[in-house]
Amino acid sequence: MTDYEPSIDGEPVEPTASWVPTWIDREQGLVRVGDGEQMEIAVVEGAGTDWVVTLRGRRIPVAVRTWRERVLAEAESASRGHDGPIEVRATLPGLVVAVAVREGDDVSQGATLLTLEAMKMQNEVRSPRSGRVAGIAVEAGQAVAAGAPLLRIE
Amino acid sequence: MATSRSEPPSLRKDETTSGVRRPPFGRLLIANRGEIAVRIIRACRELGIESVATYSDADADALHTRAADRSERIGPAPAAESYLSIDAVIAAARRSGAEAIHPGYGFLSENADFARAVEAAGLVFVGPPPATLESLGDKLAARRSVSAAGVPIVPGLLVPLVADDGGSVSPGDVAEVGFPALLKAAAGGGGRGMRRVEDVAGIEGALAGARREALAAFGDGTLYLERLIAPARHVEVQLLGDRHGNLAVLGERECSVQRRHQKLVEESPSPAVTPDLRSQLAESARRVAGTVAFHSAATVEFLVDADGGHYFLEMNTRLQVEHGVTELVTGLDLVAWQIRVAAGEVLPPSVLEATPRGHAIEARIYAEDPHGGFAPVSGTVTTWCMPEGPGIRVDAGVTADTPLPGAYDPLLAKLMVHAEDRPAAVARLQRALAETAIGGVQTDLSFLRWLVDELGFRAGAYDTGIVESTWQNGPSLSAEERSLAATVARWARAQAPSAPGMPNDGAVAPPSAWQLQARREAVDRRRPR
Repeated sequence: MTDYEPSIDGEPVEPTASWVPTWIDREQGLVRVGDGEQMEIAVVEGAGTDWVVTLRGRRIPVAVRTWRERVLAEAESASRGHDGPIEVRATLPGLVVAVAVREGDDVSQGATLLTLEAMKMQNEVRSPRSGRVAGIAVEAGQAVAAGAPLLRIE
Repeated sequence: MATSRSEPPSLRKDETTSGVRRPPFGRLLIANRGEIAVRIIRACRELGIESVATYSDADADALHTRAADRSERIGPAPAAESYLSIDAVIAAARRSGAEAIHPGYGFLSENADFARAVEAAGLVFVGPPPATLESLGDKLAARRSVSAAGVPIVPGLLVPLVADDGGSVSPGDVAEVGFPALLKAAAGGGGRGMRRVEDVAGIEGALAGARREALAAFGDGTLYLERLIAPARHVEVQLLGDRHGNLAVLGERECSVQRRHQKLVEESPSPAVTPDLRSQLAESARRVAGTVAFHSAATVEFLVDADGGHYFLEMNTRLQVEHGVTELVTGLDLVAWQIRVAAGEVLPPSVLEATPRGHAIEARIYAEDPHGGFAPVSGTVTTWCMPEGPGIRVDAGVTADTPLPGAYDPLLAKLMVHAEDRPAAVARLQRALAETAIGGVQTDLSFLRWLVDELGFRAGAYDTGIVESTWQNGPSLSAEERSLAATVARWARAQAPSAPGMPNDGAVAPPSAWQLQARREAVDRRRPR
């Protein structure tokens, strides 16, 4: 096998040699993975370097790179820097019920930014990382589509 | 109507001996979507009734739309213009020539105006009389009449917190409720419009959001206040009544595994209910049903406190999401009986004296992220692999390659198990969940797999706080899980042909079909028998 290097959340992960995957249904990405004693049914989706493995019901994003792809990706992220602005987007279509922050506010990771009502339930949109709020694109009472930009964290 | 539909006893006997029962209706329209619409279609098919599905533009290719004998478009994606539109649903029923309408749960199922419109159109509403829906739909009025019937209710207000004329309840009455308390919508349940408040001052901040949620869900923003009973278990009693005054009490369901006051797992019988409490609950449920003119299926919900005291919460005069748990232990088809009693049939002794057998558990599969506060997710279900084998029932509203519209309730399916006793049922659920695999969207499956291993759940010793206090956002990924995921992903990439424009990923040539086949066989040989 080509020397692929899997990583999760940017951390390299050593695969387990004793667990052997086999296809149950390749079309559906359905995989049986077992070590002779235990067996799990997993789902694998993806292409190229980006994969998602659903294991025990949980979706786990895994990057699978050759060393060359890894070096290129590291070089790119080093030149971009880790503190670039992040666009916070709506994951679902819904209604902005309340905006909890104002432009220029310092927020920490996990802080509530705004409340979005989707599927008749109120969901809090939290900050993906610490930073400063810039460019709030919505206001309370506004309907937003899935993927619509809400605000930016710098 | 009721008498004209019931047939002479001699005819019925003939039908039974011929093995064919005369269908209660020729054609029935289902004013709902998703798994419950599919459930009702199945009941219709077994009863020999032609089913008519209704669908919004978002559901044109949905499973329920395709599963029914015929289907009627009722409007655009927003529920208010389709599944909640009384005019659109009645028009669809008229167009299709349906004789009866089954409303399922949610949407218009407890809407008295809808039930009245159905009857005004000369059709049969599969549910209780409109007046019953009216009196029970108002949770405050229900609290008053149930309390008068001698059934204990949760201490709290018997009038709206904010009156129609804008005036509000006196501060003294509010303080007397006791805190922490729950702000609740007078027009509905399901956790919509519900807020926990810690003290009198906290009401102000919770009011606007709760009111908006209640308005959106029920079209009525009236709120009231009730003392929070904690720790508490949520136990409900299933009722089934006919138009001739017969009432079957079909045991209880334990529904304490909840998040945001919405149920995730239900079981019957409840591990917390003693034979003595069971007969008290049945007696209270009968009294509650006695306060209204009732037929069809209904559920009386109670809170049970740590000392085994029970308090009436509400009566839902419709099918519950979790009705299947009762079906498994009683062997009855509640949906078929709803339809048959709507046509005027009499409940036979086999229903009135049904004795529950064994233990059943239901796990609800939702498109939501249990690692992110159970927030609903949208996307497309790409892989859908459900368990099989002894004692398993799956009621699903989706299949593989189903886009989730994102506009409706995120319930995808209900996985139910039935076994001789609770330990066997828990083991069966554990086995069934391990056979379940869903791709494309995050579901609560990871939570469910954790729950069946959780000590409190396994022991049957849990209350409505179980999710909040012991799950939070779930355990972080273990080293084993990370390693397994990495193994599968690396293997999958090695199996995949290179993407166009990315020749060889700077690595080796992609394997040919022959090589892949040889590799599969090699792996098969390595697998122990």
